[in-house]
Amino acid sequence: MRLFDGQRAWVVQRISALLLLVLAVLVLPFASPLDFSAWRAFAGGVLGGPLIALLFGALCAHAWVGLRDIVLDYIQPRGLRLAVLSLIAVVLLGVLVRVLLSLAAAALST
Amino acid sequence: MDRHPRRLPVFLKLAQIRFPIGAIASIAHRVSGVLLFIALPVVAVLLDTSLRDEAGFASVRDLISSPLAVVAAGVLVWALVHHVLAGIRHLLMDVGIGGELERARASARLVLIAAPALAVFLLFWGLS
Repeated sequence: MRLFDGQRAWVVQRISALLLLVLAVLVLPFASPLDFSAWRAFAGGVLGGPLIALLFGALCAHAWVGLRDIVLDYIQPRGLRLAVLSLIAVVLLGVLVRVLLSLAAAALST
Repeated sequence: MDRHPRRLPVFLKLAQIRFPIGAIASIAHRVSGVLLFIALPVVAVLLDTSLRDEAGFASVRDLISSPLAVVAAGVLVWALVHHVLAGIRHLLMDVGIGGELERARASARLVLIAAPALAVFLLFWGLS
């Protein structure tokens, strides 16, 4: 529960928010309909891969701080609180691992 | 709660409770954040499927443009737009812009109105 707490949580929340905003503003204007090979080449490439990894990394850090705030506000019993926080952490880590594996597979296949 | 030995004032006439506009924007920020979190694993699986092979890419593309997905997308697009706009509002307040009561109320109202409007626009723009 002490991961990202207090001032550090506040800073992580703000920096990840700014990062997500910048990524959205930079990437969205270039979004266009893609076919499969172009999409996999982008996601597996030296630019797209790290960008998507950075996007999901910031997303998961941001989600962790925000959901932790909500859980600490609304769930008081310690056991239940720990269980819900653990579930959230498992989901977020699962998402991160899944995305990194997908990107690695895309990079290897191009 | 045993931590409060004194009787606390209680006002639970639900029909009479009026939330300030800032509170509504704030709770919507939380609700939209939770919705986006729930969607996150689905997005990760869709990303994986779309990168796997040609058939997976086509199935994700078809799923995204199906009628059921449009409803889900509408809710999620609203959640995303509201979360981003309310987040920008908070970031501006962090650097001292718009923290005064009147301007904070005005920006809360703006966010609450602009988010669904922008979501509808983005949805139709994405469908066309």
